[in-house]
Amino acid sequence: MKRFVAVTLGILTAIGGFVDIGDLVANAEVGARFGFDLAWVVGVGVIGICVFAEMAGRVAAVSTRPVFDLVRERLGARAALANLLASSFVNFLTLAAEVAGIALALELASSVSYLLWIPFTSLAVWLVIWRVRFETMERIFGLAGLSLVAFAVGFWRLGPDWGSVFHSVSHPVVPSGEGHATYLFYAVSLFGAAMTPYEVFFFSSGAVEERWTTDDLNVNRANVLIGFPLGGILSLSIMGTTALVLLPRGITVDNLAQVALPTVLALGKLGLAFLLIGFFAATFGAALETALSSGYIISQFFGWQWGKMVRPVDAPRFHAVVLVSLVLGAMLVLTSVDPIKVTEYSLVLSALALPLTYFPILVIANDPDYMHGRTNGRVANALGSIFLIIVLVASAAAIPLMIVTKAGQ
Amino acid sequence: MSEHVGWAGRPRRLRRLDAGLSLLDRQILDRDGRLSGKVDDLELTPPEGDGSGPPVVTAILSGPGALARRLRGSVGAWLESVHSRLHPSAEPGPARIPFGVVKEIAATVGLSVRKDDLELSRFEDWTRDHIIGRIPGARHAPE
Amino acid sequence: MRLSELLHSRVVDAAGNDVGRVHDVRLVQDGPLVGTFGAAFRVEGLIVGPAIAGARLGYRRSGMTGPFLLAAPLRRLHRRVKFVPWDRVAELGRDTISISGSADDLDEPEPLPTA
Repeated sequence: MKRFVAVTLGILTAIGGFVDIGDLVANAEVGARFGFDLAWVVGVGVIGICVFAEMAGRVAAVSTRPVFDLVRERLGARAALANLLASSFVNFLTLAAEVAGIALALELASSVSYLLWIPFTSLAVWLVIWRVRFETMERIFGLAGLSLVAFAVGFWRLGPDWGSVFHSVSHPVVPSGEGHATYLFYAVSLFGAAMTPYEVFFFSSGAVEERWTTDDLNVNRANVLIGFPLGGILSLSIMGTTALVLLPRGITVDNLAQVALPTVLALGKLGLAFLLIGFFAATFGAALETALSSGYIISQFFGWQWGKMVRPVDAPRFHAVVLVSLVLGAMLVLTSVDPIKVTEYSLVLSALALPLTYFPILVIANDPDYMHGRTNGRVANALGSIFLIIVLVASAAAIPLMIVTKAGQ
Repeated sequence: MSEHVGWAGRPRRLRRLDAGLSLLDRQILDRDGRLSGKVDDLELTPPEGDGSGPPVVTAILSGPGALARRLRGSVGAWLESVHSRLHPSAEPGPARIPFGVVKEIAATVGLSVRKDDLELSRFEDWTRDHIIGRIPGARHAPE
Repeated sequence: MRLSELLHSRVVDAAGNDVGRVHDVRLVQDGPLVGTFGAAFRVEGLIVGPAIAGARLGYRRSGMTGPFLLAAPLRRLHRRVKFVPWDRVAELGRDTISISGSADDLDEPEPLPTA
């Protein structure tokens, strides 16, 4: 058990990245519209986030520097500020959506409108950040989020024809009735979701919070190699269940109940119970991840004391940023703006900002002054270079595709 | 430069570094390992005497008063005006950390003093005293 | 004077020829003794090169060799970088630094080792 809980940082990070409220709906929507034809993007995204999260975790363990320190040290104050503004904006939109997402999960369970839940969900997120130790927080929400494995079980129980699933995953085509631009738009969104920068901000800061050292490099690798592929599998399972059940019936997805529908068909009430716990834990986990990330990156840009490893009075500006983000986020979603639309836009913006985060990680993971003999090997550098190019392409394509396709409509 | 005491006998051991690469934008840690701001700029002073010859690094400049000039443009101007408006003195300079209290330059810059002894923490103190410190539980580590 | 006033400045030689922009400022620790630090750092010279991004990524140092995709072009760029010893600095203008003599007799900066 002790070994297993050592990887909950990776699991919580990945759940926040792959199955937060926006992704729950986006994955289901993609499955219902494109079947298995976009599944490959999730695979590519999982490898990409593994490559860069491993580097970020290794830098954090060896040099005790979290990612946003690296961003500033290598991009300089001005470019780092540009990244800070873009990433904070994405963080904020995602946080707002997650606060509403927790409320949507509660609405599904209680039939009480999500708007009434929002004050309580944002207060609960703040209380956890204020009072709960980092490790406790990550174990509770990481492990509870695992009940989303119900999607994988549901997919299996739906009895897909594995041969044809495998064939359509490995031979993707643009489905008839969908334009190439729309297909590419969803590809960039899914890739951006897999690689959202707040994952590496949170993961590397978490590694510093847990005081990783060079002795923890195996823990780092285990976290990365278990957490992110697991997030990818959950993501693919959601896509698979809607591809099997909703696509043939021409049903499109725009709310959480439709996301759950195929799995509930396969597994019944017990499946629904697991999904409700999973929705709650995943959105709550993502809210914690993005709220903390806003505090982490702003504090790390300015060099302020940050983190849950010290008393709040010793990191007052960090806690003030978290508090203000939560209050503003709650106010934004209380205007009854569609939280799922909010995350869809934030994913595209996130794709735009990707290179400003991943480029400095790749450079510093090669810098012997930081890494003391733990610099990237050939494989990490080859994969890092390939993914840096992919990230640049996705970043350049994000906005034009959003405009051309009117955000995938 | 005969007044320069030092390492002239061992010229090959002289430490060299490129300031932009190895000092600028690094995290500052105080004596107790607390995060105490960034190296936002360096103060370069002409040598004592007639002032000719290469400038000496006399202080680390940290905080908004130093960062504002690095950012330039409208963001920098905005930051500088906020800094001078919130600052108690009429013509505030950037916060200075004399180089004499620097202990170590590595991935981080370590100091030999506590951060409370520097003039860095005004905004931090304000946030603590007026917001965070007033919330119950602020003085306990999370459980 | 602040370090940031030197960084990114344009450098011209006595004949008015463009030498490039200040990529970095080389410090050497042989100044007067200060506090607990020991000898202070003083400015040894300016590292001047073509106005291209990437000057701050650290590929000037001998140990920075990867990844190939970045190291190959950046190490090539750094071969066109010149070292201006401080005693060649003639005038510090607002955005422009004039140096004495010709740019042609400037050497490459000594590569710094990595840890």
